[in-house]
Amino acid sequence: MKCELCQKAEAETAIHRKVGAEEQELYVCKACASAGAGPEAGATPEVEQQAAEGCQAVGGVAAFPLMGMILDAAFEIVGRAAVAAGEASCPVCGITRAEYRKASRLGCPACYEAFSEELEAAILDLHRSLQHNGKTPERCQRSRQLAQLERALAEAVQAQRYEEAIALRDQLRRLGGGGAC
Amino acid sequence: MLNLESSYSLRRARLVSADDIAMTCRVRLARNLERERFPDWATGKDRERVLETVCGAVMREAGEFRVSAVAALDEQARDVLCEMHLASQDLMAREVGGGVAYAPDGSVCVMVNEEDHLRIQGFAKGLELEAAWRAADALDTALERHLPYAWTPRYGYLTACPSNVGTGLRAGAMLHLLGLRLLGEIEAVVRGLERMRLLVRGVAGEGSEAAGQIYQVSNMDTLGRDEAETVGRVKRICTEVVRQEYQARVRLVRESPLVLADCLARSLSVLQSARLMSTAEALEFLSALRLGAALGLVTRLKVADVDRLILLMQPGHLQKSLGLALTPEERDEMRAVFLRRRVASLRLKG
Ligand SMILES: [Zn+2]
Ligand SMILES: [Zn+2]
Repeated sequence: MKCELCQKAEAETAIHRKVGAEEQELYVCKACASAGAGPEAGATPEVEQQAAEGCQAVGGVAAFPLMGMILDAAFEIVGRAAVAAGEASCPVCGITRAEYRKASRLGCPACYEAFSEELEAAILDLHRSLQHNGKTPERCQRSRQLAQLERALAEAVQAQRYEEAIALRDQLRRLGGGGAC
Repeated sequence: MLNLESSYSLRRARLVSADDIAMTCRVRLARNLERERFPDWATGKDRERVLETVCGAVMREAGEFRVSAVAALDEQARDVLCEMHLASQDLMAREVGGGVAYAPDGSVCVMVNEEDHLRIQGFAKGLELEAAWRAADALDTALERHLPYAWTPRYGYLTACPSNVGTGLRAGAMLHLLGLRLLGEIEAVVRGLERMRLLVRGVAGEGSEAAGQIYQVSNMDTLGRDEAETVGRVKRICTEVVRQEYQARVRLVRESPLVLADCLARSLSVLQSARLMSTAEALEFLSALRLGAALGLVTRLKVADVDRLILLMQPGHLQKSLGLALTPEERDEMRAVFLRRRVASLRLKG
């Protein structure tokens, strides 16, 4: 399976981290493991399954009050290097990482890009998913199609299905460059 | 002693209508405009610009809607909108740039500049979550023609809080779970729901001590599943909770008739005799009366009658019906008078 944090490299190890009072287990790649909590071995896939289904880290009444803690946990893993490098801010609305952590509210839509790394970890914690599957505004249909093709292309390349990959690349070229969304 | 078996015949199998337990449901969609700061970080000017844009779109697509800026509403009008769930307390605190637009029949509304630029809500009765979703979806699709929503292929609709990102959809039902409470089983049910990643909140009050034992159950995740799947899942799980509450009511009647009769009798006599009554207290007693009506244990009282009382006794509606602005103390007095009159002739069967 893919690393649950970066979704890029293969997961090789399990890490544990505290979110609120709960301990959570994530399967991650080597790079993410060394960036975050110390790796611990020995968990089985079933255990992971249970953790996913029984996850109460953001459970119930306290789900939203816990936002701050979830963000903190995400920062601990992903954000250390970035924090050391200085106070980052969103180029569009100008809010800083510290401001957004304090309020648990982002400043503007562009913040998703500006704080993408730590948000990715927080969003995975919150939703156990990193891919939208649902409604698309009419004017964004084309960019959704492009994104789907790009994902399919990456998969085809990784699986060494080159004929399929070439066909996908041609489709992408026909659709042209990036969309409006 | 009451003979409950005879007044509530299980053999007749009048399966308590699902609406006796599921009161109402709603689907909410969070939407934001590209290149605008989210309301909490925006300036008053930013928010007023967004309000103008959104109201313009509403007027073009839904000319019959009532549109109002928060600043233009007096306290009573604000309370009335909140009590009808057309607006939230958070929205009403947004003096600059807050706004609300709603269909005259109250079936669908848009809150502007609450936590997100738009919060579109569709409402329906019982567990008709698909109807609520269709109403919200249709308005959203219409508004989208005029509004550049912030959306990305990966995260879908971008929201002020990452807990809503994706579909921006929260589908929820209000469930009246007094039977489970009286049997002491409510905590286990709530824990089970939370394990399935559903959000359980008291409609008033907190956690498992929900005022009146009315709970709102809704989805927690907004990223991954599509809208129809999410709505279907919430409906399936709520249907199961309704079944559990139904079973609890059956067991109450069969196995603990005294507990049930005591709860109903106390509640009715307080409603018939109290001289001061707060909203929270009234909700507790009306909740018991609602259970009695559902079980057919109160003369000439239907569940819908109780739901109407629950709405009318709240501060905004109470003052509106009297045509007066009252202090909280005066409200408690007038609420007691109002409820005494409405329940004076009711009797428990037996
Ligand atoms: Zn990784
Ligand atoms: Zn920003």
